[in-house]
Parts: sequence; C-alpha cells; structure tokens
Amino acid sequence: MVFNESKRYFVERRISERMVATARTKFTDYFAHLRNEVQGEVEHLINAFTVNETYFYREDHQLECMSKDLLRDRTLTKPPGDTVRIWSAPCSTGEEPYSIAIWLLENWPQADTYNIEIVGSDIDTRVLEAAAEGIFGKRALMRLSPELIARYFHPLDDERWQILDDLRLSVRFSRVNLIETEETRREGKFDVIFCRNVLIYFDNESRRIAAENLYDSLLPGGYICLGHTESMSRISPLFEVRRFSDAIVYRRPWEKTA
Amino acid sequence: METVERNLEQGTSDQRWDAARVAAQLPDGLRLLSRAMSVERDPHVREAILTGLARIGTPESAEAVLPDLRSDDSQLRATALDALRAMPSATGVHLPRLLRDADPDVRLLACDLVRGQSAADAGRLLGEVLAQDSEANVCAAAVEVLAETGGPNLLPLLKQCASRFPDDPFLAFAIRVAGERLGAQR
Repeated sequence: MVFNESKRYFVERRISERMVATARTKFTDYFAHLRNEVQGEVEHLINAFTVNETYFYREDHQLECMSKDLLRDRTLTKPPGDTVRIWSAPCSTGEEPYSIAIWLLENWPQADTYNIEIVGSDIDTRVLEAAAEGIFGKRALMRLSPELIARYFHPLDDERWQILDDLRLSVRFSRVNLIETEETRREGKFDVIFCRNVLIYFDNESRRIAAENLYDSLLPGGYICLGHTESMSRISPLFEVRRFSDAIVYRRPWEKTA
Repeated sequence: METVERNLEQGTSDQRWDAARVAAQLPDGLRLLSRAMSVERDPHVREAILTGLARIGTPESAEAVLPDLRSDDSQLRATALDALRAMPSATGVHLPRLLRDADPDVRLLACDLVRGQSAADAGRLLGEVLAQDSEANVCAAAVEVLAETGGPNLLPLLKQCASRFPDDPFLAFAIRVAGERLGAQR
C-alpha cells in the first residue's frame, strides 16, 4: 500500500484510533508497542488502514443490484419525474456517493426519468470537506476504466483527478452521526441506503440505536445495503432479508407484523 | 411525557414505536418502558423498547428484560439476550443469581451472557458453574465461553468438571478441546 501526501490525514487518523484502542497517549509509546508486535498490533494497524480505505466502484455487485433490482422495485409506484433518494452513510471522502452517481448515469436507463437525489453523510467534517472537493488519487480510481475517468473527471496533475463540477455539485454532503436520532431524522426518508462497513465497529448498544435510526430513515419498502461481512439479521430483526442475483440486501417491510 | 406514556399504551404500532424510541431519554423512562415491556406484543415495537432499556443500562432496566429469558418463545429469548448483551454492566449484576437459577435453560443462557463480562469476572462466575452445576449441558455452555475468554489457570477446574460427569462424552470432548486451547496460552 502506498499513501501519498493527500492521504496523510487518513494515516494520522488510523494511528490515532489504534493509540486509543491500545491506551497509548504518546506516539513513542504506541510505536514501541507496534514494533514489539504486542497482541498482534501490526495486523490491527494494517486492518485499520485496509478496512477504511475506499475506492470507486467498491463492491460493485451492490451497485449492479441497485440499478437492476432495487430501483426497479422502488420506481414501480413512482411516476416519472418523482424523486428517488439514495443515502451513502458513512460516505468518507466521497468515493461511494460519486460511484452511485456515475453508476446510475452509466447503467440505469431511467436515470433521466427520475429526479435522483444522492446524499453523502459522515460524522467527520474533514472527510466531508474532502468529499465536496472531489479530488482523488490513482488508488481511489483503480476500478474505473480510462473511459469513465475521462468522462467524469478532469486531471489536476499526474496523480490527482477532480470529479466534474456537474457531478460534484449534484451530491449533497452533510454531517451525521448515525447513532443520533435527531441528526439522522433531519436527512429525511430514503429509497436506498448504503451503510457499509461501519455497524461492525459499533458496540451492541450503539448498533441497535443505529439500526433503528436507519430503519426510520427508510421509506416503507426501502432497501439498505451493508458491507459484505455484515448481516442486518444479526444486528436487528427489524429488516427483511432480500436475496437478489447480485447481492443480499435488507428491506424495511411494507407492513409491520402487528 | 404524558403523550409518550399515552402513545406507548394506546397508540398505533407506529406511535408506540416512536414513543418507545424517545422514552429512554425521559426521567420516568424506566417505568414507562418496563411497563410497556410487560404488555407489548408487536415484535417491532418490542425491539425499540429493548433498545430503550439497553440505553438506560441500569440493573433495573436489565431486570425488566429478564422475564423473557424464561419464555417458551425462542424469538423472545433471542431478542432478550441481544438486549442484555447491549448492557453488559447492568446485566453483570444479575449474573450470579441467573447462574444459580432453578431452571437449567436460564443458567445455560446466562453462561452465554458472561461473554460480555471481563475475563476475570467470567473466570470467577463460570468457574463456579464448572465446580457446582448439576447439568452437563450448562457446564458445556460454560466451557465454551471459557475456551474463548479464560486462561490456563482454569485447567484444574476443567479437569475437576470432567471428573464430575465421567459418562458424558460430549462434555469430555468439549473440555479436552478447551483445555488444549487454554493450555496453549502457557
């Protein structure tokens, strides 16, 4: 893995998290802890980097599922011109919400028929600023073809590309803590939520609260996509499991059981 | 607060869900949620009630969940366990009593809840189970948890437990596997 200067903040943040996790207040103490490989710390540190680093078209089978199945279902009862709302939470530095936008433009024939609203939210205001800026390095774009990069980005230099303004300004970013009900409520109701690789890091109580907030943030019949290692069935019995050809997703039921 | 109480008691399913979600933050939340817990039958609303009780996170709020551990309904038992796991400190107060419950099924579930306690407390609580519990299945549940949380200091207790049930091949197998795992930490 290579982290250039534009990723300095990520490196600092991951190390800070590991220092908290290992109860080290000074970097020198943590570095000694790391070098002595206490309790598998090297692996913990690597995981901290790999799990949280994201890129365009990550887990694109879910994007395929969205354009092929989820939106078809969600628009069955929506007249043309109606709004389809999609939420990426947490959105980190914007790769996911921009991926959703590009994917829909490329793969959903009805993209022009509906008013698509994409919201990206994160608890961290610094990543949100980076997301709104829309500047990405090679690694973030590695899954995109040169044609897609040429169509949706303009190069800033040899290492960085900025997403085109039309696309950049079409995604709204907001600061949201998923376990604060007032904050999630403020964003309104969505047809599809991407909430990948975050619930697994919450403790049991926070996970329950977040799951209920996400439930409240979905329109009845709306879908939520989790990371491939996560299971909402274990997190909360509020959702129905729906198996599609490209992905297993979870749905807020149309009708409650009582 | 009156609106929340009224909605919890008489509202539609959606109103009861909303009321349960805010009740934990009210001064009288424990009373409201405990009462709702005893009468609410909608699993969806019960989830919000359980989350509210977990948010309060006191021994009293855990107490309100405990009756469901005795339910014949496996879904109710499972959701109660999930809620208790979400408030490990509050649940910990009740564990010594639950681990000595007359009902072996409750003792077995309590063994699983010990996972949320510190390694020292888990060793102490489940060590007593290994030494005294009359049911091999309960001991096996304790062994399973200790294999994940314990250390080599528990090996003599495991051996003693195996000797109490010489005719139970499953328990002997579980103890052997746990013993190998804990012994490897030396």
